[in-house]
Amino acid sequence: MIKNLFIAALLLALPFTAAAKGDAAAGKTKAQVCEACHGQDGKSVDPTYPNLAGQHDDYLQKALADYRSGRRKNAIMSGMAAPLTDQDIKDLAAWYSSQDGLKDLSIR
Amino acid sequence: MRNLILTAMLCSTASLMIPMQAAHAAGDIEAGEIKANTCTGCHGIPGYNNVYPTYKVPKIGGQNYEYLIVALKSYRADERDHPTMSLQAQSLSDQDIEDISAYFASFGDE
Repeated sequence: MIKNLFIAALLLALPFTAAAKGDAAAGKTKAQVCEACHGQDGKSVDPTYPNLAGQHDDYLQKALADYRSGRRKNAIMSGMAAPLTDQDIKDLAAWYSSQDGLKDLSIR
Repeated sequence: MRNLILTAMLCSTASLMIPMQAAHAAGDIEAGEIKANTCTGCHGIPGYNNVYPTYKVPKIGGQNYEYLIVALKSYRADERDHPTMSLQAQSLSDQDIEDISAYFASFGDE
């Protein structure tokens, strides 16, 4: 009984552990390559590139993981994401999500 | 001399064109606000989750106009893999996409 409860708790916790937060300070250092297009603080230098500042941490992780796996295709981003480790992705997402920028639509 | 005049003409045409291209958006923000009603059902609820897999629906308020157009057209063409977004985008005309994108982008203005 207790063992089952323990397993259930572990299973419930799984989706949260998968999106664990990275280190924003480490992410800032790793983001130097990204800055050329996405701007120093995640506000893009070219309007065809997305702003990243304030985007949700887990969405950024998913976007980078999808570029890395090829599920999301973009000539520039595929090359950029290819060498990233899982930790790099978490750190970068932590950095950009901690910046002030994008908003939910309801807040006006 | 003739070359100079031609150059001057080209330059003046170019200078006329640049502000037009840099101008904010071809889309209509007010029309976009109405057309974007459906979008707010997911993108307008802070912290709302996508499911399978679970991650937060991205914030698009203040996103760049040009990028939003690229994103919506990619979903419409099934070049970006998200069944719900593809379905939504497939009901949109180019004008709808421009209006909606102008509305979302306008969140960064104030």
